[in-house]
Amino acid sequence: MNRLLNYQTYLPVLYFLASMSILIGIWALISVVTNNDIPTPGMTWVVFKEMIATPFYDYGSNDKGIGNQLVSSLGRVFTGFALGTVVAVPLGLIMGASPVGMRLLNPIVQILRPVSPLAWFPLGLLAFKAAAGATIFIIFITSLWPTLINTAFGVSSIPQDHKNVAKAFGFSTWRYVRRVVIPYALPHIITGLRLSMGVAWLVIVAGEMLSGGMGIGFFVWDSWNALSLEKILCAILIIGTVGLLLDKGFDALQKQFAYS
Amino acid sequence: MNTQIQTTLVDSANEFHKLSRQTNIDIRDLTISFKTPKGVYTAVKDINLQVAKGEIVSIIGHSGCGKSTLMNAISGMVKPSKGEVIANGKVVKGPGPDRGIVFQNYSLLPWLSVYKNIFEAVDSVMTGKTRAEKLTIVEDNLKMVNLWEHKDKLPGQLSGGMKQRVAIARAFAINPSILLLDEPFGALDALTKGSMHIELLKLWNLDNRNKTIVMVTHDIEEAIFLSDRVVVMNNGPEATIREIVDVPLDRPRNKKAIAHDPVYMDIHDRLLNLLFDKFSIED
Repeated sequence: MNRLLNYQTYLPVLYFLASMSILIGIWALISVVTNNDIPTPGMTWVVFKEMIATPFYDYGSNDKGIGNQLVSSLGRVFTGFALGTVVAVPLGLIMGASPVGMRLLNPIVQILRPVSPLAWFPLGLLAFKAAAGATIFIIFITSLWPTLINTAFGVSSIPQDHKNVAKAFGFSTWRYVRRVVIPYALPHIITGLRLSMGVAWLVIVAGEMLSGGMGIGFFVWDSWNALSLEKILCAILIIGTVGLLLDKGFDALQKQFAYS
Repeated sequence: MNTQIQTTLVDSANEFHKLSRQTNIDIRDLTISFKTPKGVYTAVKDINLQVAKGEIVSIIGHSGCGKSTLMNAISGMVKPSKGEVIANGKVVKGPGPDRGIVFQNYSLLPWLSVYKNIFEAVDSVMTGKTRAEKLTIVEDNLKMVNLWEHKDKLPGQLSGGMKQRVAIARAFAINPSILLLDEPFGALDALTKGSMHIELLKLWNLDNRNKTIVMVTHDIEEAIFLSDRVVVMNNGPEATIREIVDVPLDRPRNKKAIAHDPVYMDIHDRLLNLLFDKFSIED
């Protein structure tokens, strides 16, 4: 009861609302300055209500609801992200556990990591002969690095104390991996996954603009061609919100596996 | 200062213990060097020490005198550059379940419960036992250090003294013939430390004083109260044994009573003298 009456309980909500007011304020200002070339928050809100009223309609390949687009994008993101994780975690474990592995693999990682997803796209097209495959490919190849690097870092930073325990009590390799390496590296791995998911969500829009057909990135490009800036602004807000939710999800996961 | 204290020379002390009981740890001409960026650093040099079965020996000295290095050579964590360590009749090649270790900073795995921390060690070492037997061992040892009701807690939820009891229970649980304690009570407050000393001796007594205990410490009172002999190290690098001081106090010892025992006070003075008289050696 006391907690409900205390203003501090509502402080985070108040700050969030204030923050959103600032954003909308700046947006409105820009609309005024650009003579409504950039639609006002109000105009955008009208379009947004229409969009989310029937999110899953399907009027053929070029006219689908925003919900369909979002589901399709998330499907690709999770597929590419899952494939990246399956490759990145074991490779990271090897890199972190073996100095030779680290020296052999690290230069490759350092060279490939900064490459833009757009540069990978043609290779994806060549390999998969299809835009959908290429989009998943670029998500895979750009999102695996944070997980790989964080896993390797986690494993390589296992404190000597923990290693000594394993040595003193004669842990087998399997017991060492299961009881020391994985639990110690897990928070680092989850941090990596969180960053990788961020990258994957960043890349999907660019990928789908190139690949076309379906997805939130395609929707943005399609709205530009239809000169509906309201829809683009709505898409930007949706992309941002979904990205935030994904990040919060991994944040919760991270807290789950933090020990003290 | 006091010169008529009963101290024995290294060799004669060893001779006495060899005669009285079977040697359990035999350190022969041990030298340990490390490669560092600045060149080779020799931590300990030409160490000879015999420890009898069931004996409690403390190694005492200033920080950086190589006490932990000497300990790690017995545990097998570091390899000798020269010489060898023989424990239970075998040359030490690496860590083994015949030597239980209690580390300086407890070294519990923070993601495992108290129970699991001990179980993993027992499960790893005692491969010949059934699961039920292993569970009984864990239970017995946790009860022995009075931590059974805390078995499901994580190490982070325990006080320093409790953590150390878990570490000791873990070392006892694998039933080693040699127990190696590396500054085990260094991080504890004086009161907790006192009760941990009694706890340790209780466990040692329960096992018919069969376990050989080697302990590194920088606490003179602790060394005298617990040990049969106190090994005083010179300052490193190239640390050697300066002197071995016998502690001929009857067991069981009473912490309060022995503080006024003239023998205790003599030994205390002697050790203080040895530890804080370093200028005469260095210069």
